[in-house]
Parts: sequence; C-alpha cells; structure tokens
Amino acid sequence: MQVRKTFIGISRLLSYIRVAHTQNARCFVSWNQPKTSDWKKAVSEAEKIVGYPTSFMSLRCLLSDELANVALQVRKLVGTKHPLLKTARGFLDNGKHSLQTRGLMILLISKAAGAKSENMENVDHSADEMVSGIYPSQRQLAEITEMINTANLVHRGVVNLDTLKDTDGSLKDMEFGNKIAVLSGDFLLTSASTGLAELRNTKVVELVSMAIGDMMSAEFTSLRDRNGQGVLPEGVTFSCWERQTFLQSGSLLSRGCRSAMELAGHNEQVQMAAEEFGKNIAYARQMNEDLLPFANLGVDPNGILSSAPVIRYAEVHGPQSIDTFSGHEKIIATIIRDNETIEWCKEKCRDYGRKAITALDSFEPSEAKSALVNIVQATTAFKPVKS
Amino acid sequence: MATTVLSMSGTSIKMLNYCLKNDVCVHGMKTGFTGASLRRLSMYLKHSCHKTKKESLCTAKVRSHGLPYLGQRFKGRQAEKDLNSPSTHPYTLVENHLNGITCRIKQDLKAIDHELLHVSEYYFDGQGKLFRPMLIMLMAKAANFHETQMDRLLASQEKIAMIAEMIHTASLMHDDVIDAADSRRGKPSINQVWGQRKAIIGGDFVMAMASIELARIRNEDVVSVVAQITEDLVRGEFMQLGSKEREEERFTHYLNKSFKKTASLLANSCKAVAILGQCDEGVAEVAFEYGKNIGISFQLIDDLLDFTSCDHVMGKPTAADLKLGLATAPVLFAAKKYPELNAMIMRRFTEEGDVETARQLVAKSDGVAETRELAQNHSREAVRQIHTLTNSKYTTALERVADMVLSRNK
Repeated sequence: MQVRKTFIGISRLLSYIRVAHTQNARCFVSWNQPKTSDWKKAVSEAEKIVGYPTSFMSLRCLLSDELANVALQVRKLVGTKHPLLKTARGFLDNGKHSLQTRGLMILLISKAAGAKSENMENVDHSADEMVSGIYPSQRQLAEITEMINTANLVHRGVVNLDTLKDTDGSLKDMEFGNKIAVLSGDFLLTSASTGLAELRNTKVVELVSMAIGDMMSAEFTSLRDRNGQGVLPEGVTFSCWERQTFLQSGSLLSRGCRSAMELAGHNEQVQMAAEEFGKNIAYARQMNEDLLPFANLGVDPNGILSSAPVIRYAEVHGPQSIDTFSGHEKIIATIIRDNETIEWCKEKCRDYGRKAITALDSFEPSEAKSALVNIVQATTAFKPVKS
Repeated sequence: MATTVLSMSGTSIKMLNYCLKNDVCVHGMKTGFTGASLRRLSMYLKHSCHKTKKESLCTAKVRSHGLPYLGQRFKGRQAEKDLNSPSTHPYTLVENHLNGITCRIKQDLKAIDHELLHVSEYYFDGQGKLFRPMLIMLMAKAANFHETQMDRLLASQEKIAMIAEMIHTASLMHDDVIDAADSRRGKPSINQVWGQRKAIIGGDFVMAMASIELARIRNEDVVSVVAQITEDLVRGEFMQLGSKEREEERFTHYLNKSFKKTASLLANSCKAVAILGQCDEGVAEVAFEYGKNIGISFQLIDDLLDFTSCDHVMGKPTAADLKLGLATAPVLFAAKKYPELNAMIMRRFTEEGDVETARQLVAKSDGVAETRELAQNHSREAVRQIHTLTNSKYTTALERVADMVLSRNK
C-alpha cells in the first residue's frame, strides 16, 4: 500500500529524533499521557468495528508532494527545539491511539446511527455504498476532522520570536521552524477545505468551519497566555473551563458527530443526540486528562494552571488560594490535600459520561453503540494507572 | 490563453504588440517572420477571438505561406466609448456597495474575546484599497447585465466580494509571519504586535469566518470554486519554497506561482459571481479568464514596482523580493542578458552584495520594460475577454480597471 511506504519512509527520516531533544520544546500539549489498559482495549476493539485501523487516516495526505517537501524541511529542524519536531514525531508515532480517536468516534457514531431509510429526498446515496456500515462521505469527514486537529496542533506550535530564551537555540532555526509549521498547517487546513467542498453539503461546511473558528478562538481566551501556556485569571469560574474545553476540543467533536448525521440525512433529533454525545465525551476526556497529574506524579504537569482541579479549587477557595508562582509540585500537593476538589472533578467526569451515554439512548443497540459506551466508560472509570 | 502567448518567441510577441497598438492587419507586415511564428500567431488570434460562442468584436486572420486565411482588420475598441468619463469610473460605479463593506466584514468576524476581535479586525480599518471587492462587484454587475439586462447586484455576489477580501487578508497575516515583515499598510504587522503565534491563529480564524459565510450562500458549486482559491494560495507558497534549476522552466514556474498566489483569488471569485448570476458556462469562463489576466498583470506590475519604487510610496520596503530570495519577472528577463544572474538566482541572493548587484543589473537591462510589456499583454487579453459580454457601463469600467492596473504606482 502506497500510504504505508510513504509512512515508513518518512518515519525513518524522523526516527533519529531523540525524545530528549524535544523534551524542553516549547509545547504545552502533552503527548505521552499513560492510557489505561481499559482505554486501549476499548479503542482497538472499536477500530475493528469500523473496518480499518485509524492510525493511517491522515497519512493519506502525506502522499502529496507538498508534505514530502515538508518532511525534508523538518529534517533540518533536528537538533533544534522547535515544537514542530515533537508534533511531527507524535503524528507519525505508530500505535498511539490518542491521535486518531476523534475520527474513530465519528466513524463509530456514523455506524451506530445506521443507514437512512425514510426521507431520502435530501440525500442521494445512489453513488455511495456503505462499507462496514459507514458511508464514504462519513469516512471522508472523519479524516477531515483529524486533519483539522493536526493543523491546529501544528499552528499552535508556532513560536513567538520575541520571547526566545538562550536555551531555545538560534533565532534562525526557530524562524525556519515557524515557516514550515505555518505552511504545513495551512496545507492541512486547505486540504480539509477542499475535502469539505467535495462532500457537497453546505450545512456540513458551515458546521466544520464553525468548529475551526472555535478552536482558533481557544487561543485567545483569558485562560491562555501569549505563548499558549495555561494561566489562572482572577475570578475564574468552572464555566470558564467548560467554555475553554468546548472551544478547544468539544466543538470539533460535537459538530463533527452532527455533520456525520447530516451527511447520512438523519433528522434533527438524531443530529442533536450526536452533538450531545460528542460534546460530553470531549468534556469527559479533557477532565480525565486534567486529573492525571494529580493521580500519577510522573505525568507532565504542563498546563496545570488552567486544568479543571485548579480552577475548581480557585473558584471554591477564592482567588488567592493558588499561588501561581509556586512550582507545579506545590500546587498539586495543595489540591491533593483537599480531597474534595479531586472527588468533585471525578464525579463531574462521571456525570459527563452519563450524559454522553444517555445521548445514545435513541440509537439502536449495535456493536458500534456498545463500542462507544465502552470508550465512555473507559474514560470515566478511575482506576490506578499503570505507568 | 496567457500560456499560448508566452510559449511564442519574443519576436511573435513583439509582432502582436505592434499590430494591437497600430490597428494594423498582420498581413500587411513585411518582416522576416518565419512561417512558424505566423502560424502560431494566427492560431492564437483565432483561438482567442472565436473562443466564446458570442460574436466577438475582434477577428483577425493571417495570410502566410500556404495558409488559407485572408487578412482582416483587427478591430480595436469602438471609438464612441468614452473611457474617461466619471460615470464609468470603476470605484465610483460600486461606491455604494463598497462603502461599509469593511463594517459588514467586521460583523462577520464573530469574535467574543476582545483580543481576538482586535487581531481579526486589525486590517479591516478602511486603509486597504479594496481593489478585489471592487473588481468582483463590477464583474458581478457586468455578468448580471449580460444575462438579464438588469442593473443589479445580488446579496450573494456581494458576499463573495467580502469573502474574497477576508481570504486575502488572512493570507496577508500568514505571509507577514513567513516573510518576517514588521509593518504593513503603514502600521506594525500583527506578528510584530501580538507575536507570530497569534498572527497565524488569527489568520486561521478569519479564514474560518469566511468559510462560514461561504457555506451560508448555500451553493455547492461556489463552495468548490472558492475552496480552490485557498488550495492555490497554499500551493503557491510551496512553489515559492522550491526553485527550478533549468532556466526555461523558471519563467513558467514563476507565472504559475503568480497565478496561484494572486490571480487565482480574482479569477475564481469572478467565476463564482458569474455562477451566482445564473450565467452559463461560457460567461463563467470569460469571468475567470478576465480575473486571471488582471491578476497576473497586477502581480507583474507589483514585481516591477519592487524595483522602481521607493519605501514611502509603497508602504512596505522595496527590493523586498530580492531580499527574500525571490526571482521575479524583471530579474528573470534580465538574466537573459546577464547570465551571471542565474547563479545568484540559484542561491537565492544569499551572498554578500547579491541583492545590490542584481538590482543594478536589472536596471541596466530591459527587465523592467519587458515586464511592463508582458503586463500590458495580459491587460489586453482581459479587455478582449470582456468584449464578449454585452456592452454596459460595467464592462467599460472593467476595461478601465485593466488600464488602472498598469498605471498604478503603489
């Protein structure tokens, strides 16, 4: 398979990137959070149900000349501290399911919703056939969603040149890295746009464009500083966290799920249900991720200031209760001592999980639906993490 | 069309120019043209003039050795048309629609967080020339008149004009980061004020807002046409990253890149408004070709001005292209006379003194004049395209735009 060849070729190019080089890279996105065995099991089962492993989804665009060019350019970045290296490595890291779960969930919910039997007037499926219970347009949408997510990550890795420290390396390297990051992110976004245009459904274009707008807005809220690091503003409330999470990841997933329903011509009710599911599973995932540094002290605590437990604690105990200048360990310790905050967050996570599962009630029981439920449960179960 | 012209030898281009300027029948020329040049010229003229179904105002045939064509006058513009009257001034004709377009664009930039609002609205401050919306609206009116004999502008067509301006601005925001520009339109660039990161993400946001408005027009064909613009913009940037080793390929590569970076926006937007005006494919093609030729002409003049103008006129630094390592038309033309430029082009003017030497060599050569001539050809082609539409004050205005593009100095 040509995709595989290109993938192997490029991963060899990047294979000598040591994780050590990228450890201090200015990137707050945590890639290597340990996943529970429940989660891994749920996801690999789900992949079988949708018909092919989702780790290869966005790699199809790697076939293009542009991205082959980019790969060569990225090679020049080896040895620098530009975040694009870390993103690229994560992107090509075979086997880490965390990358592709958005697409996976869109595929699953497409399958769970089934074929459109009544009301076929709006939708012409004479040319399409379901493969493994999913329409080609829905698969395309899933791929587009992943492309958009990657593009967002790549663009968030652009570095502000005026705040470079000596430890970051040369200005020229960072400038070059920025250039490549901008171009590859742009390329992914326009590939997504043309892909959307091919779907011939302006409602879907509208929904996904709104999602892109939201993801970009997430960088301009009061919870992010200029460099994309999490900050804790005065007077923060938990609804700020919910808004931030919605903008960052909830919007893409919820609107993606809804669009998948739209593509199959499902009615408004089904679309709303899918949207609810997407939104709540996104909240649950983020909450789960935010809680990890508090359960397992080996986890990268970057971005902790805008995490749910910290925000909750600050909301309850007042604005002065968290000293943002003290180290991460101190903050973590403070919050762990106050068991209530952690428990509240876990319960909130379970609550999101319940809402997600409830949203699926209107769907017929099926393999795909069970897979979705399993994923939700794996996200909201809080067992000790094996590192 | 343009590629056909360019694949002709310089002699053929000069001949065409002479004929166009002097209204002379090609047949009457006594020169040492080879049969091949004449044949190519006749095919070009025949192809361009008889391309559309409507009867064209211009026909030309060439008599050459053994070719069965008879010479015929090349009809230029009609004498009666008053091309300088204020009633056909491009900007005036769509003034009502242009006024407040920036306000309407700002309404579409639905940002809640006030920093995002600042960043996304930064370049919609009324300082831009609004050249693209003006052109697109004129084309829309011309196409509408051609189709319905009514003088109107549809709301959806106006949207396209706004969307084009938003896409253009978003691409500028990204360009400034890629080119490390610290000022634009007389004020500090967004990356200068807010940092590279927010400039890029802000640009993505503006692009997303444009996409939302595009979707709300509810026309799938138009969505595809406009999506093509964004694809071309990015591919154009990638083309700029690489360079062709062989000289013959360089010019084609440069024109291709110019199309993608500049002309595609105009061409596809014009095509989109023609589609929205319920025009047939032929008219949509004409609109596309017009936009394309204007765009390429615009870019050529832009590249030319980079060599002839000075800082305070342009609002951005000059010889900028050389400093960025880009070889534009004047340099490529000059390289024919001064082959030493080729080595400099290959190394992207990175060596000490390269920029200055290149600038001087271009000044000494005919590079600038040849670029202008090529731009004129494209403007003329644009005018030829417009002549196939029903005559109206809008088609006249579009002809004036073709001239305006050539005579701008910033």
